[in-house]
Amino acid sequence: MFDEPYRWVDAINQRRDYIEEQLKRSSPVVAVTVDEGILLVSFFRQTSKIFEVYDRMAMGAIGHPADIELIRMAAINTAHLEGFARSSKDVSIRRLTMFTISPKLKSAFEDVMSSPMIYRGIFVQAGESPKEDCFLVLDFDGQVQPTKSSAVISNTEDVSDRIRKLLPSTMLSSKEALPLLIHACLSGSSDFEDMGIDTDGKILDADLYRQKKEQFLSEREPDIQLLGRQNGLMTRLPLPDNA
Amino acid sequence: MKTGESIKGASGSFLDLLKQESGSYSSLPIGELSAGKVQEIQATTILAFHFCGGVLVAGDRRATAGNRIMANRVEKVIEIDGRSVLAISGSPAQAIEMARVLDHSFRYYRRTQLDEMSLEGRLRLLAQLLKENLPMAMNGVGGVVPLFITLDPESNAPKIYFYDILGAHFEGTPFAVGGSGSLEVQGILRFLDRWGNPSGLSSISKKDAILLSLRLLETASYFDSATGGIQAGDRIYPVIKLVSGEGVETVGEDLLREMMETEVRGV
Repeated sequence: MFDEPYRWVDAINQRRDYIEEQLKRSSPVVAVTVDEGILLVSFFRQTSKIFEVYDRMAMGAIGHPADIELIRMAAINTAHLEGFARSSKDVSIRRLTMFTISPKLKSAFEDVMSSPMIYRGIFVQAGESPKEDCFLVLDFDGQVQPTKSSAVISNTEDVSDRIRKLLPSTMLSSKEALPLLIHACLSGSSDFEDMGIDTDGKILDADLYRQKKEQFLSEREPDIQLLGRQNGLMTRLPLPDNA
Repeated sequence: MKTGESIKGASGSFLDLLKQESGSYSSLPIGELSAGKVQEIQATTILAFHFCGGVLVAGDRRATAGNRIMANRVEKVIEIDGRSVLAISGSPAQAIEMARVLDHSFRYYRRTQLDEMSLEGRLRLLAQLLKENLPMAMNGVGGVVPLFITLDPESNAPKIYFYDILGAHFEGTPFAVGGSGSLEVQGILRFLDRWGNPSGLSSISKKDAILLSLRLLETASYFDSATGGIQAGDRIYPVIKLVSGEGVETVGEDLLREMMETEVRGV
């Protein structure tokens, strides 16, 4: 394989297709800046997808649970060792992703002789003010994409685009933003067309939407977490009564 | 990092991870050092008692080396992970490092295991740190005798524990004290609990608890040169923290100043 460059490129392309195919089963994770910090929302059937990494830092991920766990532990270990050796103020999500996680993901992706890591994630860091909040999307090939005031990961880029259009464009409190984020997650589900929603996330049939939404929520666990700006810690929030 | 790779830190022990990765926290063989050769910085009067709203923990701010006052602004009451407090007496160098290890360990455990460390686990971890510090303490440097106040995850109520230099720990009900100025404080607290408030020390109000702690530290400083008095002129007040089911609250300096002027010095 290695004496023919084409074979390697071919193997990488096949690997990319394979990972994308595996990610198709995933439901989205959404994160936005709110007054109190950063609000992260997702829904899951089996395992949670949102985790605290360090003071002021959290991650959300889709993919294979074992691969998510490897990256989660690598991020937590690195952050805690750095924070202990120096100071918690020296730990940043930018350094953590760009200098630690991203190079490792890239090597794992390009090592065609080993099984691939099925992973796509969001890393967030709550700043002292909303302007200082940091959002990074990290893909299975090590690509890091910084975004402003919100971040979305889902099974495809089209779905992520649809969700982005539904995110709040102004600063809201977590209570105000939560219903919008729940609707955005529903619009990003694979069966959105059967839920009375169009491709822009607009509700076309309110009764059908309500009925399908109830079914959606009854089949999944809500994963709603607020990364607090004041204390830097994650707090799990309940599904609102009017959801 | 590859699929199938073993996960470091899966046990949730930050201490193990630290030793594995950097070996930076371990008992040091200190060879020929012995008591008297090094004049170690020490402290303190620390105290903790139950009151109606939880547990109050207080400590003076002075650090001494022999007859010399080395610092008057040392924080000896240290918040750990928003749910516990470590009050330190003895060598600040080792004690502050222990507080950092505890803080990182509790947070690390919660983040990796997605669960809180048990009460017994937390007590044991501090005991382990003290035991690892024993060779230094036996050579006359780095001895630490702390009070540890932490929330019991089962009852969500704070509990007080006092340790000896070997790591043995016992629950303090309704109070525990530490440091060179603790003798007077211990006697007063015992007296108040037995013959003071008819319902016992643990039923006093938050305001009375803060006032009592200020008066106790002032008394300790009267007899013990290693305990700092409250130097209102320099605006140096003790550190007082309240631990309850809600977490840890630090009593503000404005309140301490007001109480000092009206209830401690002014009477």
